[in-house]
Amino acid sequence: MIKTRDHAERGICVVDPSVERLTAANATTFKEEVFALIEDHRDRLVIDLTGVSFIDSSGIGALVGLLKRVGTRGEVVVCGLSGSVQQMFKITRMDRVFSSYRDRDAAVAALLERA
Amino acid sequence: MYDELANHEGAQESVPLKVVVADDDALQRTYTSAVLRKLGYAPIEAPDGARALELIREGAAQILVCDLEMPGLNGHELARELRRDPGAHDGYVHILMLTGQDERHERERALEAGVDDFMAKPLDTASFKARMRSAGRLLRRDRELAARNRFLAEAKDRIEADLRAAADAQRRLLPPAHATVGGYAFHSAFMPSNILSGDMFGYFALGGGLVGLYAVDVAGHGVHASLMSVALGHLLTEDFFCGHVFDAEGRPDPAALVALLDRRFYRDDGTEYFTMFCGVLDEATGAFHYCQAGYPSPCIMTTEGACRSVGRGGFPVALLPAPTFETGQTTLRQGEFLVLCSDGATEAETPAGLAFGDDGLARVFKGTADDPAAIPQNLVAELTRWRAGRPLDDDLTVLVCERTPEP
Repeated sequence: MIKTRDHAERGICVVDPSVERLTAANATTFKEEVFALIEDHRDRLVIDLTGVSFIDSSGIGALVGLLKRVGTRGEVVVCGLSGSVQQMFKITRMDRVFSSYRDRDAAVAALLERA
Repeated sequence: MYDELANHEGAQESVPLKVVVADDDALQRTYTSAVLRKLGYAPIEAPDGARALELIREGAAQILVCDLEMPGLNGHELARELRRDPGAHDGYVHILMLTGQDERHERERALEAGVDDFMAKPLDTASFKARMRSAGRLLRRDRELAARNRFLAEAKDRIEADLRAAADAQRRLLPPAHATVGGYAFHSAFMPSNILSGDMFGYFALGGGLVGLYAVDVAGHGVHASLMSVALGHLLTEDFFCGHVFDAEGRPDPAALVALLDRRFYRDDGTEYFTMFCGVLDEATGAFHYCQAGYPSPCIMTTEGACRSVGRGGFPVALLPAPTFETGQTTLRQGEFLVLCSDGATEAETPAGLAFGDDGLARVFKGTADDPAAIPQNLVAELTRWRAGRPLDDDLTVLVCERTPEP
Protein backbone atom coordinates (compact mmCIF):
# COMPACT_ATOMS: atom_id res chain seq x y z
CA MET A 1 0.00 0.00 0.00
CA ILE A 2 2.62 2.56 1.07
CA LYS A 3 5.00 4.25 -1.36
CA THR A 4 8.47 5.10 -0.16
CA ARG A 5 11.35 7.22 -1.35
CA ASP A 6 14.72 6.68 0.26
CA HIS A 7 17.29 9.37 0.76
CA ALA A 8 20.78 8.01 0.73
CA GLU A 9 21.73 10.05 3.76
CA ARG A 10 21.36 8.65 7.23
CA GLY A 11 18.38 6.37 6.93
CA ILE A 12 15.94 9.08 5.86
CA CYS A 13 12.86 7.68 4.15
CA VAL A 14 9.74 9.52 2.98
CA VAL A 15 6.59 7.42 3.36
CA ASP A 16 3.40 8.14 1.45
CA PRO A 17 0.52 6.11 2.94
CA SER A 18 -1.18 6.26 -0.51
CA VAL A 19 -4.64 6.35 1.01
CA GLU A 20 -7.13 9.18 1.13
CA ARG A 21 -8.41 8.14 4.54
CA LEU A 22 -6.13 6.69 7.22
CA THR A 23 -8.67 4.96 9.48
CA ALA A 24 -9.46 1.83 11.47
CA ALA A 25 -9.93 0.11 8.08
CA ASN A 26 -6.28 0.41 7.02
CA ALA A 27 -4.26 1.80 9.95
CA THR A 28 -2.90 -1.61 11.02
CA THR A 29 -1.72 -2.50 7.51
CA PHE A 30 -0.06 0.90 7.22
CA LYS A 31 1.67 0.47 10.57
CA GLU A 32 2.92 -3.05 9.76
CA GLU A 33 4.32 -1.89 6.42
CA VAL A 34 6.24 0.96 8.03
CA PHE A 35 7.42 -1.39 10.82
CA ALA A 36 9.05 -3.45 8.07
CA LEU A 37 10.94 -0.33 6.92
CA ILE A 38 12.09 0.34 10.47
CA GLU A 39 13.35 -3.26 10.72
CA ASP A 40 15.29 -2.44 7.58
CA HIS A 41 17.12 0.38 9.41
CA ARG A 42 15.14 3.18 7.90
CA ASP A 43 14.45 4.90 11.17
CA ARG A 44 14.31 8.57 10.22
CA LEU A 45 10.89 8.71 8.72
CA VAL A 46 8.92 11.48 7.06
CA ILE A 47 5.24 10.52 6.91
CA ASP A 48 3.87 12.53 4.01
CA LEU A 49 0.17 13.14 4.64
CA THR A 50 -0.35 15.42 1.63
CA GLY A 51 -2.70 12.94 -0.02
CA VAL A 52 -4.55 12.08 3.20
CA SER A 53 -7.74 14.09 3.63
CA PHE A 54 -8.95 12.35 6.78
CA ILE A 55 -7.35 10.60 9.74
CA ASP A 56 -9.25 8.98 12.63
CA SER A 57 -8.13 7.91 16.09
CA SER A 58 -6.85 4.56 14.76
CA GLY A 59 -4.71 6.46 12.24
CA ILE A 60 -3.30 8.61 15.04
CA GLY A 61 -2.69 5.42 17.03
CA ALA A 62 -0.71 3.98 14.11
CA LEU A 63 1.52 7.09 13.89
CA VAL A 64 2.20 6.96 17.62
CA GLY A 65 2.95 3.24 17.20
CA LEU A 66 5.68 4.17 14.69
CA LEU A 67 7.10 6.70 17.11
CA LYS A 68 7.25 4.10 19.88
CA ARG A 69 8.85 1.53 17.57
CA VAL A 70 11.55 3.92 16.35
CA GLY A 71 12.18 5.02 19.94
CA THR A 72 15.48 6.78 20.51
CA ARG A 73 17.09 5.19 17.45
CA GLY A 74 15.56 7.67 15.07
CA GLU A 75 12.61 9.96 14.56
CA VAL A 76 9.24 10.28 12.93
CA VAL A 77 8.06 13.60 11.49
CA VAL A 78 4.99 14.46 9.43
CA CYS A 79 4.34 16.83 6.55
CA GLY A 80 1.57 18.07 4.30
CA LEU A 81 -1.21 18.20 6.89
CA SER A 82 -4.48 19.36 5.32
CA GLY A 83 -7.46 20.98 7.08
CA SER A 84 -9.19 18.06 8.76
CA VAL A 85 -5.93 16.20 9.49
CA GLN A 86 -4.45 19.36 11.00
CA GLN A 87 -7.58 19.73 13.12
CA MET A 88 -7.27 16.14 14.38
CA PHE A 89 -3.60 16.74 15.26
CA LYS A 90 -4.62 19.81 17.22
CA ILE A 91 -7.52 18.20 19.10
CA THR A 92 -5.39 15.20 20.11
CA ARG A 93 -2.29 17.39 20.71
CA MET A 94 -0.30 15.36 18.22
CA ASP A 95 1.02 18.72 17.03
CA ARG A 96 3.10 18.63 20.22
CA VAL A 97 4.25 15.07 19.66
CA PHE A 98 5.26 15.19 15.99
CA SER A 99 7.31 17.88 14.26
CA SER A 100 5.27 18.97 11.28
CA TYR A 101 6.50 20.46 8.01
CA ARG A 102 4.86 22.10 5.02
CA ASP A 103 5.99 19.47 2.52
CA ARG A 104 8.41 16.58 2.10
CA ASP A 105 11.29 18.78 0.91
CA ALA A 106 11.03 20.95 4.02
CA ALA A 107 10.82 17.83 6.22
CA VAL A 108 13.83 16.15 4.60
CA ALA A 109 15.82 19.39 4.79
CA ALA A 110 15.03 19.69 8.50
CA LEU A 111 16.09 16.08 9.16
CA LEU A 112 19.34 16.60 7.23
CA GLU A 113 20.09 19.73 9.19
CA ARG A 114 19.57 17.93 12.47
CA ALA A 115 21.97 15.27 11.21
CA MET B 1 -18.01 -29.97 11.79
CA TYR B 2 -16.06 -32.05 9.29
CA ASP B 3 -16.71 -35.21 11.31
CA GLU B 4 -20.42 -34.57 11.04
CA LEU B 5 -20.01 -34.03 7.32
CA ALA B 6 -18.06 -37.25 6.86
CA ASN B 7 -20.76 -39.22 8.65
CA HIS B 8 -23.40 -37.50 6.62
CA GLU B 9 -21.62 -38.29 3.35
CA GLY B 10 -21.02 -41.86 4.51
CA ALA B 11 -24.74 -42.33 4.92
CA GLN B 12 -25.26 -40.94 1.44
CA GLU B 13 -23.08 -43.70 -0.01
CA SER B 14 -25.38 -46.44 1.28
CA VAL B 15 -28.51 -44.84 -0.20
CA PRO B 16 -28.61 -45.23 -4.00
CA LEU B 17 -28.35 -41.90 -5.83
CA LYS B 18 -31.53 -40.92 -7.64
CA VAL B 19 -31.42 -40.19 -11.37
CA VAL B 20 -34.20 -38.81 -13.57
CA VAL B 21 -34.24 -40.60 -16.93
CA ALA B 22 -36.05 -38.52 -19.56
CA ASP B 23 -36.79 -40.26 -22.84
CA ASP B 24 -39.97 -40.42 -24.95
CA ASP B 25 -38.89 -43.81 -26.30
CA ALA B 26 -40.25 -46.21 -23.67
CA LEU B 27 -37.91 -49.02 -24.71
CA GLN B 28 -34.77 -46.84 -24.55
CA ARG B 29 -36.01 -45.36 -21.22
CA THR B 30 -36.56 -48.81 -19.69
CA TYR B 31 -33.18 -50.00 -20.94
CA THR B 32 -31.30 -46.95 -19.58
CA SER B 33 -33.11 -47.37 -16.26
CA ALA B 34 -32.23 -51.04 -16.08
CA VAL B 35 -28.54 -50.28 -16.69
CA LEU B 36 -28.64 -47.58 -14.01
CA ARG B 37 -30.31 -49.90 -11.52
CA LYS B 38 -27.65 -52.51 -12.18
CA LEU B 39 -24.97 -49.88 -11.53
CA GLY B 40 -26.55 -49.16 -8.15
CA TYR B 41 -28.59 -46.07 -8.92
CA ALA B 42 -32.30 -45.40 -8.36
CA PRO B 43 -33.80 -44.26 -11.71
CA ILE B 44 -37.01 -42.24 -11.90
CA GLU B 45 -38.56 -42.32 -15.37
CA ALA B 46 -39.98 -39.30 -17.20
CA PRO B 47 -41.70 -39.81 -20.59
CA ASP B 48 -41.00 -36.24 -21.73
CA GLY B 49 -39.05 -33.04 -20.95
CA ALA B 50 -41.88 -31.32 -19.12
CA ARG B 51 -42.28 -34.21 -16.66
CA ALA B 52 -38.49 -34.35 -16.14
CA LEU B 53 -38.44 -30.63 -15.33
CA GLU B 54 -41.29 -31.12 -12.87
CA LEU B 55 -39.53 -34.03 -11.13
CA ILE B 56 -36.29 -32.09 -10.74
CA ARG B 57 -38.06 -29.01 -9.42
CA GLU B 58 -39.78 -31.25 -6.86
CA GLY B 59 -36.30 -32.30 -5.75
CA ALA B 60 -36.57 -35.90 -7.02
CA ALA B 61 -32.93 -36.02 -8.18
CA GLN B 62 -29.83 -33.95 -8.94
CA ILE B 63 -28.72 -36.05 -11.91
CA LEU B 64 -30.60 -36.00 -15.21
CA VAL B 65 -30.01 -38.44 -18.08
CA CYS B 66 -31.98 -37.14 -21.03
CA ASP B 67 -32.56 -37.79 -24.66
CA LEU B 68 -32.06 -34.99 -27.18
CA GLU B 69 -35.23 -35.42 -29.21
CA MET B 70 -38.39 -35.38 -27.13
CA PRO B 71 -41.84 -34.01 -27.91
CA GLY B 72 -42.73 -30.74 -26.15
CA LEU B 73 -39.58 -29.77 -24.25
CA ASN B 74 -36.56 -31.29 -26.06
CA GLY B 75 -33.17 -31.90 -24.41
CA HIS B 76 -31.77 -28.45 -25.28
CA GLU B 77 -34.86 -26.67 -24.02
CA LEU B 78 -34.95 -28.75 -20.84
CA ALA B 79 -31.27 -27.95 -20.10
CA ARG B 80 -31.78 -24.25 -20.86
CA GLU B 81 -34.83 -24.11 -18.61
CA LEU B 82 -32.98 -25.75 -15.71
CA ARG B 83 -30.00 -23.38 -16.08
CA ARG B 84 -32.23 -20.32 -16.51
CA ASP B 85 -33.73 -20.68 -13.07
CA PRO B 86 -31.30 -22.60 -10.81
CA GLY B 87 -33.13 -21.31 -7.74
CA ALA B 88 -36.18 -23.38 -8.65
CA HIS B 89 -34.47 -26.60 -7.51
CA ASP B 90 -31.99 -27.62 -4.80
CA GLY B 91 -28.27 -27.58 -5.64
CA TYR B 92 -26.64 -28.16 -9.00
CA VAL B 93 -28.28 -30.52 -11.50
CA HIS B 94 -25.83 -32.57 -13.53
CA ILE B 95 -27.15 -33.15 -17.06
CA LEU B 96 -25.95 -36.08 -19.14
CA MET B 97 -27.37 -36.11 -22.67
CA LEU B 98 -27.77 -39.20 -24.80
CA THR B 99 -27.22 -38.56 -28.51
CA GLY B 100 -27.66 -40.73 -31.56
CA GLN B 101 -24.82 -41.36 -34.04
CA ASP B 102 -26.24 -38.74 -36.41
CA GLU B 103 -26.65 -36.10 -33.70
CA ARG B 104 -22.99 -35.48 -32.79
CA HIS B 105 -23.09 -32.03 -34.36
CA GLU B 106 -25.77 -31.10 -31.79
CA ARG B 107 -23.24 -31.33 -28.95
CA GLU B 108 -21.97 -27.76 -29.22
CA ARG B 109 -25.49 -26.38 -29.05
CA ALA B 110 -26.21 -28.65 -26.09
CA LEU B 111 -23.11 -27.43 -24.24
CA GLU B 112 -24.31 -23.88 -24.74
CA ALA B 113 -27.72 -24.85 -23.39
CA GLY B 114 -26.04 -26.10 -20.22
CA VAL B 115 -25.54 -29.84 -20.74
CA ASP B 116 -22.54 -31.20 -18.78
CA ASP B 117 -21.73 -34.45 -20.55
CA PHE B 118 -22.72 -36.73 -23.45
CA MET B 119 -23.13 -40.40 -24.18
CA ALA B 120 -23.61 -41.89 -27.60
CA LYS B 121 -26.36 -44.39 -28.16
CA PRO B 122 -26.30 -47.36 -28.00
CA LEU B 123 -25.05 -47.11 -24.41
CA ASP B 124 -21.65 -48.58 -23.66
CA THR B 125 -22.07 -49.82 -20.07
CA ALA B 126 -18.43 -49.38 -18.96
CA SER B 127 -18.29 -45.82 -20.25
CA PHE B 128 -21.76 -45.04 -18.83
CA LYS B 129 -20.64 -46.36 -15.44
CA ALA B 130 -17.56 -44.13 -15.45
CA ARG B 131 -19.57 -41.06 -16.45
CA MET B 132 -22.23 -41.70 -13.80
CA ARG B 133 -19.51 -42.13 -11.21
CA SER B 134 -18.07 -38.77 -12.15
CA ALA B 135 -21.56 -37.23 -11.94
CA GLY B 136 -21.98 -38.80 -8.48
CA ARG B 137 -18.66 -37.36 -7.35
CA LEU B 138 -19.67 -33.90 -8.48
CA LEU B 139 -23.02 -34.26 -6.78
CA ARG B 140 -21.43 -35.33 -3.51
CA ARG B 141 -19.04 -32.39 -3.75
CA ASP B 142 -22.00 -30.09 -4.36
CA ARG B 143 -23.82 -31.44 -1.33
CA GLU B 144 -20.68 -31.18 0.78
CA LEU B 145 -20.33 -27.53 -0.19
CA ALA B 146 -24.00 -26.92 0.52
CA ALA B 147 -23.60 -28.54 3.96
CA ARG B 148 -20.53 -26.39 4.59
CA ASN B 149 -22.37 -23.26 3.54
CA ARG B 150 -25.27 -24.16 5.83
CA PHE B 151 -22.81 -24.68 8.67
CA LEU B 152 -21.16 -21.31 8.02
CA ALA B 153 -24.52 -19.55 7.74
CA GLU B 154 -25.58 -21.10 11.06
CA ALA B 155 -22.29 -20.11 12.67
CA LYS B 156 -22.72 -16.57 11.35
CA ASP B 157 -26.25 -16.44 12.78
CA ARG B 158 -24.98 -17.64 16.16
CA ILE B 159 -22.17 -15.07 16.19
CA GLU B 160 -24.53 -12.27 15.21
CA ALA B 161 -27.01 -13.32 17.89
CA ASP B 162 -24.15 -13.21 20.42
CA LEU B 163 -23.11 -9.77 19.17
CA ARG B 164 -26.67 -8.52 19.46
CA ALA B 165 -26.87 -9.86 23.02
CA ALA B 166 -23.59 -8.07 23.78
CA ALA B 167 -24.96 -4.90 22.17
CA ASP B 168 -28.04 -5.13 24.43
CA ALA B 169 -25.77 -5.45 27.45
CA GLN B 170 -23.83 -2.42 26.22
CA ARG B 171 -26.99 -0.39 25.73
CA ARG B 172 -28.20 -1.25 29.22
CA LEU B 173 -25.12 0.56 30.57
CA LEU B 174 -26.22 3.76 28.86
CA PRO B 175 -28.55 6.32 30.40
CA PRO B 176 -32.01 6.77 28.84
CA ALA B 177 -32.50 9.05 25.80
CA HIS B 178 -33.96 11.75 28.02
CA ALA B 179 -33.37 12.27 31.74
CA THR B 180 -33.13 15.02 34.30
CA VAL B 181 -30.31 15.09 36.83
CA GLY B 182 -30.26 17.96 39.29
CA GLY B 183 -30.79 21.19 37.41
CA TYR B 184 -29.91 19.67 34.05
CA ALA B 185 -31.89 17.89 31.35
CA PHE B 186 -29.90 15.37 29.27
CA HIS B 187 -30.81 14.17 25.78
CA SER B 188 -28.80 11.60 23.88
CA ALA B 189 -28.49 9.31 20.88
CA PHE B 190 -26.17 6.34 20.39
CA MET B 191 -25.58 4.60 17.09
CA PRO B 192 -23.05 1.76 16.69
CA SER B 193 -21.43 1.48 13.25
CA ASN B 194 -21.84 -2.31 13.36
CA ILE B 195 -23.98 -3.78 16.18
CA LEU B 196 -21.38 -3.07 18.87
CA SER B 197 -19.88 0.33 19.62
CA GLY B 198 -16.59 1.64 20.99
CA ASP B 199 -18.42 4.65 22.42
CA MET B 200 -19.70 5.04 25.98
CA PHE B 201 -21.11 7.95 27.95
CA GLY B 202 -22.87 8.73 31.20
CA TYR B 203 -23.87 11.42 33.67
CA PHE B 204 -24.86 11.46 37.34
CA ALA B 205 -25.47 13.63 40.40
CA LEU B 206 -22.32 13.89 42.53
CA GLY B 207 -23.98 15.48 45.54
CA GLY B 208 -23.50 19.03 46.75
CA GLY B 209 -25.32 20.42 43.71
CA LEU B 210 -22.76 18.99 41.27
CA VAL B 211 -23.40 16.87 38.19
CA GLY B 212 -20.70 14.79 36.45
CA LEU B 213 -20.72 13.77 32.80
CA TYR B 214 -18.39 11.92 30.44
CA ALA B 215 -18.11 10.54 26.93
CA VAL B 216 -15.41 8.16 25.66
CA ASP B 217 -14.56 6.93 22.19
CA VAL B 218 -12.26 3.91 22.04
CA ALA B 219 -9.98 3.93 18.98
CA GLY B 220 -11.22 1.50 16.36
CA HIS B 221 -14.63 -0.14 16.53
CA GLY B 222 -16.28 -3.55 16.66
CA VAL B 223 -15.83 -6.19 19.37
CA HIS B 224 -12.32 -5.12 20.39
CA ALA B 225 -13.26 -1.48 21.03
CA SER B 226 -16.63 -2.31 22.55
CA LEU B 227 -15.11 -4.56 25.24
CA MET B 228 -12.96 -1.63 26.34
CA SER B 229 -15.88 0.80 26.18
CA VAL B 230 -18.02 -1.53 28.32
CA ALA B 231 -15.15 -1.91 30.83
CA LEU B 232 -14.99 1.89 31.01
CA GLY B 233 -18.78 2.09 31.35
CA HIS B 234 -18.60 -0.18 34.40
CA LEU B 235 -15.67 1.70 35.88
CA LEU B 236 -16.95 5.26 35.39
CA THR B 237 -19.69 5.30 38.00
CA GLU B 238 -20.98 7.96 40.32
CA ASP B 239 -18.72 6.58 43.07
CA PHE B 240 -15.67 6.62 40.84
CA PHE B 241 -16.39 10.23 39.92
CA CYS B 242 -16.98 11.24 43.53
CA GLY B 243 -13.73 9.55 44.55
CA HIS B 244 -11.46 10.91 41.81
CA VAL B 245 -12.83 14.00 40.11
CA PHE B 246 -11.86 16.45 42.89
CA ASP B 247 -8.49 17.82 43.90
CA ALA B 248 -7.10 17.76 47.43
CA GLU B 249 -9.07 20.89 48.31
CA GLY B 250 -12.31 19.37 47.03
CA ARG B 251 -12.51 21.50 43.87
CA PRO B 252 -13.61 19.78 40.66
CA ASP B 253 -10.53 18.59 38.75
CA PRO B 254 -11.60 16.26 35.92
CA ALA B 255 -7.97 16.14 34.68
CA ALA B 256 -7.12 14.17 37.84
CA LEU B 257 -9.71 11.55 36.94
CA VAL B 258 -8.44 11.34 33.36
CA ALA B 259 -4.83 11.04 34.56
CA LEU B 260 -5.89 8.17 36.80
CA LEU B 261 -7.51 6.36 33.86
CA ASP B 262 -4.38 7.00 31.81
CA ARG B 263 -2.17 5.40 34.44
CA ARG B 264 -4.55 2.48 34.75
CA PHE B 265 -4.81 1.74 31.03
CA TYR B 266 -1.45 2.79 29.57
CA ARG B 267 0.97 0.03 28.62
CA ASP B 268 4.27 0.55 26.85
CA ASP B 269 3.45 -2.16 24.34
CA GLY B 270 -0.27 -1.36 24.24
CA THR B 271 -2.21 -0.35 21.15
CA GLU B 272 -5.58 0.30 22.78
CA TYR B 273 -6.39 3.84 23.72
CA PHE B 274 -9.37 6.15 23.88
CA THR B 275 -10.38 9.76 23.65
CA MET B 276 -12.54 11.26 26.32
CA PHE B 277 -14.34 14.35 27.48
CA CYS B 278 -15.51 14.66 31.06
CA GLY B 279 -16.68 17.45 33.28
CA VAL B 280 -18.41 18.62 36.42
CA LEU B 281 -21.28 21.12 36.34
CA ASP B 282 -22.32 23.26 39.27
CA GLU B 283 -26.09 23.62 39.34
CA ALA B 284 -26.06 26.87 41.30
CA THR B 285 -23.50 28.81 39.28
CA GLY B 286 -23.34 26.94 35.98
CA ALA B 287 -19.56 26.63 36.48
CA PHE B 288 -18.27 23.87 34.23
CA HIS B 289 -14.91 22.22 34.93
CA TYR B 290 -13.87 19.89 32.14
CA CYS B 291 -11.01 17.87 30.74
CA GLN B 292 -10.71 17.31 27.01
CA ALA B 293 -8.58 14.27 26.18
CA GLY B 294 -8.51 14.08 22.38
CA TYR B 295 -12.31 14.08 22.15
CA PRO B 296 -13.83 16.61 19.71
CA SER B 297 -14.60 19.98 21.28
CA PRO B 298 -18.21 20.20 22.47
CA CYS B 299 -20.26 23.33 21.74
CA ILE B 300 -22.07 25.57 24.17
CA MET B 301 -25.12 26.95 22.40
CA THR B 302 -27.99 29.28 23.02
CA THR B 303 -31.51 28.64 21.78
CA GLU B 304 -30.92 31.52 19.33
CA GLY B 305 -28.23 29.41 17.67
CA ALA B 306 -25.10 31.18 18.96
CA CYS B 307 -22.32 28.65 19.41
CA ARG B 308 -18.93 28.60 21.14
CA SER B 309 -16.51 25.73 21.16
CA VAL B 310 -15.20 24.29 24.45
CA GLY B 311 -11.55 23.33 24.86
CA ARG B 312 -8.50 23.53 22.64
CA GLY B 313 -7.54 19.87 22.55
CA GLY B 314 -5.73 17.49 24.84
CA PHE B 315 -3.81 14.23 24.71
CA PRO B 316 -5.83 11.03 24.30
CA VAL B 317 -5.89 8.54 27.20
CA ALA B 318 -3.47 5.59 27.36
CA LEU B 319 -1.71 6.50 24.10
CA LEU B 320 1.51 8.20 25.20
CA PRO B 321 3.84 7.64 28.13
CA ALA B 322 3.12 10.12 30.96
CA PRO B 323 1.05 12.80 29.22
CA THR B 324 -0.30 15.80 31.12
CA PHE B 325 -3.99 16.57 31.30
CA GLU B 326 -5.53 19.93 32.02
CA THR B 327 -8.74 21.02 33.67
CA GLY B 328 -10.42 23.88 31.84
CA GLN B 329 -13.22 26.04 33.10
CA THR B 330 -16.16 27.83 31.52
CA THR B 331 -19.75 28.62 32.47
CA LEU B 332 -22.97 27.11 31.19
CA ARG B 333 -25.20 30.13 31.58
CA GLN B 334 -28.93 30.15 32.11
CA GLY B 335 -30.62 29.24 28.84
CA GLU B 336 -27.49 27.69 27.35
CA PHE B 337 -26.89 24.06 26.54
CA LEU B 338 -23.87 21.86 25.88
CA VAL B 339 -23.66 19.57 22.84
CA LEU B 340 -21.13 16.73 22.75
CA CYS B 341 -20.70 14.67 19.64
CA SER B 342 -18.22 11.88 18.79
CA ASP B 343 -16.31 12.18 15.51
CA GLY B 344 -18.54 9.52 13.95
CA ALA B 345 -20.72 12.43 12.77
CA THR B 346 -18.18 14.74 11.12
CA GLU B 347 -16.45 11.95 9.23
CA ALA B 348 -19.68 10.44 7.86
CA GLU B 349 -19.53 10.54 4.06
CA THR B 350 -22.15 10.57 1.33
CA PRO B 351 -21.96 7.68 -1.16
CA ALA B 352 -19.98 10.13 -3.35
CA GLY B 353 -17.42 10.67 -0.56
CA LEU B 354 -18.43 14.10 0.75
CA ALA B 355 -17.83 14.37 4.52
CA PHE B 356 -20.60 15.66 6.80
CA GLY B 357 -17.97 17.79 8.52
CA ASP B 358 -18.22 20.55 11.08
CA ASP B 359 -20.44 22.45 8.65
CA GLY B 360 -23.00 19.64 8.67
CA LEU B 361 -22.96 19.56 12.47
CA ALA B 362 -23.35 23.35 12.73
CA ARG B 363 -26.25 23.23 10.28
CA VAL B 364 -28.14 20.63 12.35
CA PHE B 365 -27.32 22.28 15.68
CA LYS B 366 -28.42 25.72 14.49
CA GLY B 367 -31.50 24.39 12.75
CA THR B 368 -32.65 22.74 15.98
CA ALA B 369 -31.27 25.22 18.52
CA ASP B 370 -34.74 26.22 19.68
CA ASP B 371 -35.44 22.61 20.69
CA PRO B 372 -32.29 21.12 22.31
CA ALA B 373 -34.15 17.95 23.29
CA ALA B 374 -34.61 17.13 19.59
CA ILE B 375 -30.95 17.63 18.56
CA PRO B 376 -29.73 14.02 19.04
CA GLN B 377 -32.56 12.46 17.02
CA ASN B 378 -32.39 15.18 14.37
CA LEU B 379 -28.69 14.60 13.94
CA VAL B 380 -29.21 10.84 13.60
CA ALA B 381 -31.96 11.43 11.02
CA GLU B 382 -29.79 13.91 9.10
CA LEU B 383 -26.80 11.53 9.11
CA THR B 384 -28.98 8.65 7.93
CA ARG B 385 -30.07 10.82 5.00
CA TRP B 386 -26.46 11.92 4.38
CA ARG B 387 -25.32 8.28 4.29
CA ALA B 388 -28.30 7.38 2.08
CA GLY B 389 -29.26 4.74 4.65
CA ARG B 390 -25.85 2.99 4.77
CA PRO B 391 -24.51 2.35 8.30
CA LEU B 392 -21.92 4.79 9.69
CA ASP B 393 -18.21 3.95 9.38
CA ASP B 394 -17.64 4.96 12.98
CA ASP B 395 -19.74 4.85 16.13
CA LEU B 396 -21.82 7.88 17.01
CA THR B 397 -22.67 9.43 20.36
CA VAL B 398 -24.61 12.68 20.74
CA LEU B 399 -25.17 14.10 24.21
CA VAL B 400 -27.01 17.35 24.92
CA CYS B 401 -26.98 18.83 28.40
CA GLU B 402 -29.43 21.63 28.97
CA ARG B 403 -29.54 23.89 31.99
CA THR B 404 -33.19 23.80 32.95
CA PRO B 405 -34.83 27.12 33.88
CA GLU B 406 -34.85 27.89 37.58
CA PRO B 407 -38.25 27.26 39.15
